[in-house]
Amino acid sequence: MIIATVEGWVEAPLARYVEEARARLALLLHPSGQVVAQAGFTRSTDVMTACALAAAVHATSKELGRQVDGSGFRVLHHGGTDKQLHLAAVDLGRVAYICLTVFDEESSLGLVRMYFGDLCRELAAAAPEQPAKGPSLGLDFERELNHNLSALFGRA
Amino acid sequence: MSLVNYSTREITCKIVYYGPGRSGKTTNLHYIYGQVPEDRKGKMVSLATQTDRTLFFDFLPLDLGSISGFTTKFQLYTVPGQIYYQTTRKLVLQGADGVVFVADSQSRQLAENVESFQDLHENLAEQGIDARTVPLVIQYNKQDLPSELILGKQDLSDALNFRGVPEFSADALHGPGVFETLRSISELVLKRLSSGAGK
Amino acid sequence: MTTNAFGSVLETLTRQRGVRASLIVSETDGLIVDATLRVGQDGDRVAALAASLFRKARLSAAAARLGDVAFMQMDAEQGRICAVGGKSDLVLMVVAEPTANVGLIRVELLKALETLA
Repeated sequence: MIIATVEGWVEAPLARYVEEARARLALLLHPSGQVVAQAGFTRSTDVMTACALAAAVHATSKELGRQVDGSGFRVLHHGGTDKQLHLAAVDLGRVAYICLTVFDEESSLGLVRMYFGDLCRELAAAAPEQPAKGPSLGLDFERELNHNLSALFGRA
Repeated sequence: MSLVNYSTREITCKIVYYGPGRSGKTTNLHYIYGQVPEDRKGKMVSLATQTDRTLFFDFLPLDLGSISGFTTKFQLYTVPGQIYYQTTRKLVLQGADGVVFVADSQSRQLAENVESFQDLHENLAEQGIDARTVPLVIQYNKQDLPSELILGKQDLSDALNFRGVPEFSADALHGPGVFETLRSISELVLKRLSSGAGK
Repeated sequence: MTTNAFGSVLETLTRQRGVRASLIVSETDGLIVDATLRVGQDGDRVAALAASLFRKARLSAAAARLGDVAFMQMDAEQGRICAVGGKSDLVLMVVAEPTANVGLIRVELLKALETLA
């Protein structure tokens, strides 16, 4: 089982990116669809669902690119009526993320692309050599899990 | 892959429901979604065809509550079972922390079950994962059908459960076995997480 | 309009004394449609930011009920950016040296804009 620790050094660059690009929100996610960090108006979106869908879109685009082009596509842009999406890979060597940016008329694709490039450079510079190791979780989970699951299914 | 956020004290894990077409993977998620309180679940997303066959995946985020001080969230996915969605299954399976294999108990579906199970192992191997290390639970769904149409749990177990993983009979449409399956895979995933974290 | 026509518009602008770069940019996207740049110039960056600036200028003028933006000029320590935009989404801009003749650049930009329309 691979366990990834969410590393705090991603948060400040992401927040700066949203501010400078005047984006509505940006989500940094793991390719498996899990949220790593978020910045901007995240309350306007179901973040977990957005990340799951974004990961799926990215994975299919990448695969499609591989079939069409031999190498995976790395950037996708969707132009909506009010808002637009920019979905792109962030490859930091030892770790790869996906960044989903939502923006509207306050920004532009050109700005997002430009600041996204800056974000990638900042993240690459901030990424520590080795991933942070968290303490042992020491989960006393069995009792709590059973209780929580029973509560979920109304059988508590 | 499990994601642990020590600053917000959150754990997120991915569970994938796998199996042949129409075995009841989506039905499992629908049942879970219907039973869980609003504040403990996110939106269920179903990317499906017009005839309600899973096209890409179903997705259901669940909040399992606090476990040892960590807010524990499980993301449940299903894969499309039809044979020609092979590539899509591989993509959805990436990063899975645990797998529920939903087998169709109908006798005529035995070959499809076996093929799908092999497909699962092949896809994991392609990702460089030893399937024996992945938490796995097998669910024999549709055990509510007339006995002349289905194989019993033991027969299905003989055909599929060569690893001796936890197995459950189920009727996902009405609920029996769904909760038990989810609890079992949750336990396995968290057990693995607990022993694996910090290393 | 064909890309050849864009090219000739840019060529005319770049020929003006003191003009370092000329660009045709989509105002909405901030993306370059065509450009004549010197080696080392980051046209994408200039296009994105200047298009955003032009858009803000247009919105400001509209908010102040001044009508359309006729000409935008941003002076900096080591040069200036001049831009014009029409009814279409295209913005025509030049990056010029401080000593460049702004009046002439303005005339050429407006003339070029008519060709683009």
